[in-house]
Amino acid sequence: MSESTRHIGKPIPRIDGLDKATGALKYLSDLRFEGTLWGKVLRAAHPHAMIRGIDTSAAEAIEGVHAVLTHRDVKGLNRFGIAVPDQPALCEDRVRYVGDAVALVVADTEEIATRACAAIVVDFRVLPVVDDPLRALEPGAPAVHTDGNLMHRNEVSKGDIAEGFEQSDVILEHHFSTQMYAHAFLELDAGTGLLDPGSGVLTIWCAGQYPYRDQLQIARAVGWDPEKIHVIASPIGGAFGGKDEITIQIYLALMAIAVPGRPVKLALSREESMEAGTKRHPFELDVKLGAKRDGTFMALDFEMVSDTGAYASLGGPVMNLAIEGASGPYVFPHTRIGGRVAYTNNGFSGAFRGFGTTQSCFAQEQMIDMLALELGMDPIDLRLKNALHTGDLSAMDHRIWTAVGIEETLRVARDSRIWRERRERQARHRPPLFFGTGVACEMQATGLGKGIPDFAGAHCDLEPDGAVKLRIGGIEMGTGVNTAYCQMAAEILGLPMDRMRIVMGDTGETPDSGTTTASRSIYMMGNAATLAARDLARVMGEFVASHWGEGFTLRDGAFVRDGQSVSLIDIAARASEMGQRLRGEGHTVHPEADRDFGDGLPHIMYAYCTQIASVIVDGETGEVFVDEVLSIPDCGRVINPQGVEGQSEGGVVMGASYALLEEVLMEGGRFINANFTNYSLPTAVDCPRRIDTVMVEVPEPTHEWGSKGIGETVTVPICPAIVNAIFDAIGIRFFRIPVTPERVVEAIEANPDCRAARAMSSAMG
Amino acid sequence: MSPPVIELHLTVNGESRTFLTQINRSLFDVLRAEGYVDVKNGCLNGDCGSCAVLLNGRPVLGCLVMAPHCEGGEVVTAAGLGRPGDLHPLQEAFLDTGAVQCGFCTPGMLIVAKHLIDTNPDPSEEEIAAALAGNLCRCTGYVKIIDGVKEAARRMRASKARSKARGRRRS
Repeated sequence: MSESTRHIGKPIPRIDGLDKATGALKYLSDLRFEGTLWGKVLRAAHPHAMIRGIDTSAAEAIEGVHAVLTHRDVKGLNRFGIAVPDQPALCEDRVRYVGDAVALVVADTEEIATRACAAIVVDFRVLPVVDDPLRALEPGAPAVHTDGNLMHRNEVSKGDIAEGFEQSDVILEHHFSTQMYAHAFLELDAGTGLLDPGSGVLTIWCAGQYPYRDQLQIARAVGWDPEKIHVIASPIGGAFGGKDEITIQIYLALMAIAVPGRPVKLALSREESMEAGTKRHPFELDVKLGAKRDGTFMALDFEMVSDTGAYASLGGPVMNLAIEGASGPYVFPHTRIGGRVAYTNNGFSGAFRGFGTTQSCFAQEQMIDMLALELGMDPIDLRLKNALHTGDLSAMDHRIWTAVGIEETLRVARDSRIWRERRERQARHRPPLFFGTGVACEMQATGLGKGIPDFAGAHCDLEPDGAVKLRIGGIEMGTGVNTAYCQMAAEILGLPMDRMRIVMGDTGETPDSGTTTASRSIYMMGNAATLAARDLARVMGEFVASHWGEGFTLRDGAFVRDGQSVSLIDIAARASEMGQRLRGEGHTVHPEADRDFGDGLPHIMYAYCTQIASVIVDGETGEVFVDEVLSIPDCGRVINPQGVEGQSEGGVVMGASYALLEEVLMEGGRFINANFTNYSLPTAVDCPRRIDTVMVEVPEPTHEWGSKGIGETVTVPICPAIVNAIFDAIGIRFFRIPVTPERVVEAIEANPDCRAARAMSSAMG
Repeated sequence: MSPPVIELHLTVNGESRTFLTQINRSLFDVLRAEGYVDVKNGCLNGDCGSCAVLLNGRPVLGCLVMAPHCEGGEVVTAAGLGRPGDLHPLQEAFLDTGAVQCGFCTPGMLIVAKHLIDTNPDPSEEEIAAALAGNLCRCTGYVKIIDGVKEAARRMRASKARSKARGRRRS
């Protein structure tokens, strides 16, 4: 690894920035095609019902309607689902949530399609609704699927949990609850499908986090040769895990097949997207933590239940990562960590930035805060005392041999101004304003986990004009990985950034690089891009040797030999003359743990992060203002500090909103707040007044540049850090999020002995 | 039974245009249908700010303004602020400060920010945040967007001061 770099570690502006800032960039939802027809989905509207019949005749008779499709028109499996294909593309005899699709209409205009949807008569027999995951798991609960409501159960352990608690001097036990939470990506699900009748190729332009898997899921559901499905899935106007599962790709395929030669566009409304798409799983968590008087962690017992809603999607893996992340980045000699996933009629949940660890971290980091208080220890010292290091056995009992930077992040936290000045600043606030500071840590599993194929490919082409083009199957959803990949390749080839191009997420143009999830992009696709660039350097070197002679070396973007220089433009011109394409390829496979606990557990690499939040709580109105945040991710080596800061700041605001503001409300399986009028997102006036990011760089030895992904971990510890800060401010512990003003006011009223209530009553005299 | 179609005369990004539109269409509908896809759809409910454009110099949400009410109006979308090589200082500053991530909110943010610094050349961070409070962003946490607006305002003031100084030297 060379110490002096041209691009690596530099705040290079994003390569797609100009197109975005001038409005020139076309998202897949912006594409327009001549002769486009409009599609519309008829949704279940009932959270749970039998379908006794579907009459489409009136809809078909409407002028301007080209096709009305039901399950009878689906030639394939008619199912999708990343882990378990259990979700009908078009429901046959039963609907299990309000967003289930029953029929599709293709018409001349969106208005006609909407009218035709309304003219479809579905004979539903309404079934009892199960809208509580705990009740769903009780005997006699209405069954969402024929083999019961227990979708998944998993448990890991280490040592002897009973002995661990016996040896503990202090034992704490608490119950926690987390809410359903929406991705609320700004670009709605929208796209176009087209079947070319000549070639039989079905093209789907639609945002998705893994185009090759979308291709497979479409093929399987509609019965089409995957080789004849072309998926273009990038760029994306935000996803956060919400475009990992199939959204509308299969509907686009079915509609396009019904009207060969005509492009069909489908665009969901915000309400439809909210009701039909995945969410973050709500969790119920029971935690028991034991420690020695000196603060040594002895035993950890976790039992969790999540509500995955009507279909599996990634409900199992999300619970698995909740289990894997439950311990946090600490050493425990004795553990038992288990979780169950329940089917209900509450929408359906799936992948979301933070992926299960968000929920278990919320509970665990409050447990540690309470333990510190109980022991009279500084919360950072307590964490440092138990911090995980490379070579330690995890809470699941596997050896972590990759880089672990949590101690370094905690040291930065301990020495920070926000932490050192917290008591001074607290003393400066007077009732009804209360100031508090909290800290929390996280370890976020990265990559797909043991036994799950985790590979990435990249191509690096010399273009006819001497520029270099990367081809990567991952997608760009706003994180700036496109820029980072180009930085890596440009560094290898010694090129300026403006000689780099990149195409991503297109099954016709890029190799399969796996999914753009699991914080794996910088690590996996970054490695593949780097290897591809190095391979192109080799290929070009051989080409130069055979055309210009031996002895040339690549320096600053040209091949040089004592005073003689062959530029990439020269090489490209000669290759074009010869009809040759010069391409480098890079392929990489994720390292795995040496133990296998099944179901993708465990991982071998983790991102680590410590975050500190200062809050001001208004004891009268119950409002919580996040005053300042310090975010300290362990990034491995930083590729682009501006990119890391952007992820960190955005992650902090998303996680703060999880702590304080957002909740998808449901009643009896129906959505109460399905648009942005009543599902409130944080705005510019709601975000913390100051967010600082300190990047800790503990190099990951298995990465070409020593880097790893931090897009998820920066979102997670902020939530418990804020809730810990609220406790520090007012002396009340919140076991349920979001901590809304109403809940704060109620809690202060219910706790007349808390710090805030006492201070306010004495201030009133 | 379709709603009547009218001629709508607008100046869009400096160009005089005549559109045929049904009277029940919003300004958003008309602009999107005519290919101004830098006007984004995040909700069509007036909640997200993604479809903000300048109408006669004032920011409006395209989804909440009926097209016939805009007759004769002057519309500026984000693409009308500047082009590659001739960017508006806001566009430049957004790139330099990292205010753009997925970019979907960017056009609407730029439009509202343009109106802010046109009317208040030296806005405080609080004033910027208040001005942008109707525009949702899910990626950035707003920090770098506020930085971008502040930086653009600073650059515009500096360039104005420079041209003033040049003016004085000439006279």
